[in-house]
Amino acid sequence: MTRDEIKTELMRIFRDVFEFKNPDPNDNLRDVHGFDSVDAIELLREIEIMLGARLSREEKEKAMDVRTINQIVDYVESLASTRS
Amino acid sequence: MERRVVVTECSAITPIGQTKEEIIRHLVDGKSGVKKLRDDGLLSNYIQSGVFGTVDYPIEYDFKRTYRKTMGPVAFYACQVAKEILEKAGLGEDFITSGRLGVAFGSTHGSPSVQRQIYRSFFSNSESEFSSIGAIDYLKSMVHTTSVNITKMFGITGRVISSCTACTTSSQSIGFGYEMVKYGMQDAMLCGGADEYDTTTVAVFDNLLACSTAFNDAPHLTPRPFDVRRDGLVVGEGAGAVLLEEYEFAKRRGANILCEIIGFSCNNSGGDLIFPNMDAITKAIQLGLQDAKISADEVDFVSAHATATKMGDVVEAQAIYSVYRDSPLITGLKSYMGHTMGSCGAIELIIALYMMEEGFVAPTLNLDEIDDRCAMIRHATGLTETDIRVAAIQNFAFGGVNTSIIIKKI
Repeated sequence: MTRDEIKTELMRIFRDVFEFKNPDPNDNLRDVHGFDSVDAIELLREIEIMLGARLSREEKEKAMDVRTINQIVDYVESLASTRS
Repeated sequence: MERRVVVTECSAITPIGQTKEEIIRHLVDGKSGVKKLRDDGLLSNYIQSGVFGTVDYPIEYDFKRTYRKTMGPVAFYACQVAKEILEKAGLGEDFITSGRLGVAFGSTHGSPSVQRQIYRSFFSNSESEFSSIGAIDYLKSMVHTTSVNITKMFGITGRVISSCTACTTSSQSIGFGYEMVKYGMQDAMLCGGADEYDTTTVAVFDNLLACSTAFNDAPHLTPRPFDVRRDGLVVGEGAGAVLLEEYEFAKRRGANILCEIIGFSCNNSGGDLIFPNMDAITKAIQLGLQDAKISADEVDFVSAHATATKMGDVVEAQAIYSVYRDSPLITGLKSYMGHTMGSCGAIELIIALYMMEEGFVAPTLNLDEIDDRCAMIRHATGLTETDIRVAAIQNFAFGGVNTSIIIKKI
């Protein structure tokens, strides 16, 4: 997946699955959208489905530092590069 | 310290309606909420009982995703009745989040429909399944999913009690909530129970030969508590909740006081986990009266557990007679809606309260010919206009758990 494809798909997920209104790539997910621990688990599941592959425990733990959609795009791009 | 405890709000989702008006209409018209068992694509074809106490009207939920994401169907029921209560109660947010309001709410076994999804993932060999699937399903399906989804939705920070004792789940919730307030550990408790549409429970009772099977083509004719043609219980779905408050607190804030809870008892048969125990049930009834500090002849109405099993109704009728003789009117409210399992105690208390408010007792539905072995008590066989000053709501569960709640008009 290209970076643009990843970003487009993530924005769709945040709008359709997480029901965020007008998500901005620079929004702090927790402060602006109330993103919580349950959402983090759901998002990792969505990323697994997007990539068509399971994430390792180490890979999932790296997601704990992510705060914005742009950082999630970076995270997924990195995961995708190791699987291409 | 013993404080008086009052009910200030109530809300129910039942097979015979959601509003007080709709529920009373069913009682007055003798209209049943028992329908044919729906096809669940798994067990329904193997179950001999073909009836279910069904909530078949639409419920308009408006829960945001932040709440929905951890809710299975049972939590939707629970949060809906809790929401209706808190919207009507007029308690300030300061109080709701103060730690002085607690929640006592449960269900028979969380959300069985979500549990099925989890098992499908476990047993699926599909490559499309991922390890993280099911993590949130636990929050939707766990035994205390109803109570903690309520606390989350409203920011309630007080005590949480999650009873899960099958048919006494919500009567225990109300009883334990009553004790929390009575003994000063909380100033208010939101109490109740819920259970969603579930064929697993039907299958369990079906295998025990305890489910009704003879009226699959005429669901409204079953269950038939105390009747000679009764052939077992009918599983149902629903939810019921009440708000309990300390009397002085409720009076000070101008709350609408619906009734007082004056007594609660809970004991165990200490033996067989399935068969009803006459001595233990009798003792539970006596303990309820003792806690209420009243005599048996002061009780005007008894809402019997009355599941319409062959043995259970006989044992209960004998226990009622041994304590109350033939003084109070007796109704088996499950005759209208089946056995709503974890919610039955709360729903039956709410219906008893409605009848107390409106001055009537509804008859046991389908009680065409009273079984001689149950005939010694004063059955409500017709709609009776009467002033209920004190009512007892009794419930008994698998595991030998017995409860009695005594409410009084105020």
